[in-house]
Amino acid sequence: MSDIRLVNLSKTYGEGNAVSEINLKIGEGEFFSLLGPSGCGKSTTLRMIAGFIKPSAGQILIGSDDVTALPPEKRDIGIVFQNYAIFPHMNVAENIAFGLKLRKRNKNEITWRVTEALKQVGLAGYGERYQRQLSGGEQQRVALARVLVTEPRILLLDEPLSALDKGLREEMKFWIKDLQKNLGITTVYVTHDQDEALTMSDRIGVMSKSKIVQIGTPQEIYERPKTLFVTSFIGHSNMLDVTILGQDANGVTVDLNGQELKTRASSSVTPGGAAKLVLRPENVLIGAALGDGDSRLSATVLSETYQGPIVRYRLKVGEQEIVAERQNQAHVERFSPGTVVTIGWDPEWSEALVA
Amino acid sequence: MMREESAIPLVFKVIAGFALVVLLLPLVIVVLAGLNAGDYLTFPPQGLSLRWVKSFLSSPVFLSAYFYSFLLALCATLISTVVGTLAALYLARSSSKTSGAMRGFFMLPIVLPGVVLGLALYVFFTTTDIGLARTFPGLLICHVLVTCPFVIATVTASLVGFDISLEEAARSLGASPWTAFRKITLRIIAPGISAGCIFAFIVSFGQFETTLFLAVPNHEPLPMAMYISLRYKFEPTAAAAGIFAIALVVISTIVTSRLVSLRRVFKA
Repeated sequence: MSDIRLVNLSKTYGEGNAVSEINLKIGEGEFFSLLGPSGCGKSTTLRMIAGFIKPSAGQILIGSDDVTALPPEKRDIGIVFQNYAIFPHMNVAENIAFGLKLRKRNKNEITWRVTEALKQVGLAGYGERYQRQLSGGEQQRVALARVLVTEPRILLLDEPLSALDKGLREEMKFWIKDLQKNLGITTVYVTHDQDEALTMSDRIGVMSKSKIVQIGTPQEIYERPKTLFVTSFIGHSNMLDVTILGQDANGVTVDLNGQELKTRASSSVTPGGAAKLVLRPENVLIGAALGDGDSRLSATVLSETYQGPIVRYRLKVGEQEIVAERQNQAHVERFSPGTVVTIGWDPEWSEALVA
Repeated sequence: MMREESAIPLVFKVIAGFALVVLLLPLVIVVLAGLNAGDYLTFPPQGLSLRWVKSFLSSPVFLSAYFYSFLLALCATLISTVVGTLAALYLARSSSKTSGAMRGFFMLPIVLPGVVLGLALYVFFTTTDIGLARTFPGLLICHVLVTCPFVIATVTASLVGFDISLEEAARSLGASPWTAFRKITLRIIAPGISAGCIFAFIVSFGQFETTLFLAVPNHEPLPMAMYISLRYKFEPTAAAAGIFAIALVVISTIVTSRLVSLRRVFKA
């Protein structure tokens, strides 16, 4: 088990930057996700840690070792690929034994360890099978067993769930997380799926255009996005056009359609400038749900959409639209289109962000 | 199983059967002609005997031609298998824009008529005076040129869909580049290499047009020896030689596919 440090890590291809100046410390035993849209540089970063891509600049440290110049086979890293990369000409047992044979372990130990590894991933008795006889989920488990049996210092997972169907993906999400927790192995997980990142990670690094734009716990990333990109990439958000009126120690005052509202701001803003008031639909309260100290506005219900556990309202405030999501449960009032209602939110759950 | 068989339309079966007959009939005729008891190369044979087979086995001209061709095909196959496999790997993995043009260039010897290639090499060897005209190395170079495209084509086909992350997985499990190549890539493309090997051997062993220009005096390979023999005396010895040539090709095909067993690579 080791921590990972990336120091000013960069990769340039021709003119463009694939990864620029990433500085990151991933703690021992931590489950760290790199989350971002395709082409943001997350896979390139992972492949640099694995040693398949040579960085243009910067350093990669695993524990106290600088591995920047080492080839993949000398890094003592386990990697699971998107397509699992099970060797098709070897059976499951031979696949898992591959790394142990290279380490010149004796035969009895290999047999014993392969059996143990198969048990660990819930595939006892699968040793004789070949890749084409395994389902996607089983291949995934074999790929993990093959890696874990060599007791790598760190585990790298490159979109390992994206090739699975939805039901299995949900199951594997928790299974992988549990396995990782039990082993306490430092893990870097690359994904474009926010649900995976939010559910599995200890911390998430959101990447955009070759840079890490925000690092934080799933809660911080979801509730305190620092940029409009993070806001729009993770979940849904209302983004209302506002003008900044002023900033003090308690937060920011903004003008929304002529009404003064208090809100939070994580960075300093310029009075008079345009900004977006960012607000999750589940935090927009309607009518009696509002509490003391909440911002209040008058709005017209445009539409009501029933979605089972939640009911979704489109509301009109001045010339702008706000989406509110309310739990569909006992004692929660419903509003029909056309109704004029009072809506609002806790200022601490809204944020002014400058584009 | 029954249903799958009957799913093939009758017309396809007839066409397949016809093709098989057209391909195999000449072989049957050569074999029967080689077992002829008469004095001349005729068909149908005038009785069966091993007369001409014995004549082939005791003919120094034919025997040395046979072994010369065998040696030549063996060397050409070895070289073009290695070179062709490396070329196919490069072409499959290079992101260079010129690799498409290079592939076309490597395939040229297949497209070029043998007479043209033979003549071109002959003129090149003699005019440059580099000591290759009508020598074994010169002839070998020609055969490698002609056989290499077959290896490149078959290995390329086996590399289609080969996932580079298999090699990367092996690397991160602790394999050096060479070990990863040997234990993973080579095993997976083995059927393609094996097929290329067989093609190369057969093409080299039966190579006639280019050989006409480049053969070493008094060391004719088998196809030329057969041609010369038929031109000057219409004896069935050439047909008997044909029997041995067919046998060699069949045996080498079996041996190659066993060495790099298709079943071992993809066993159920």
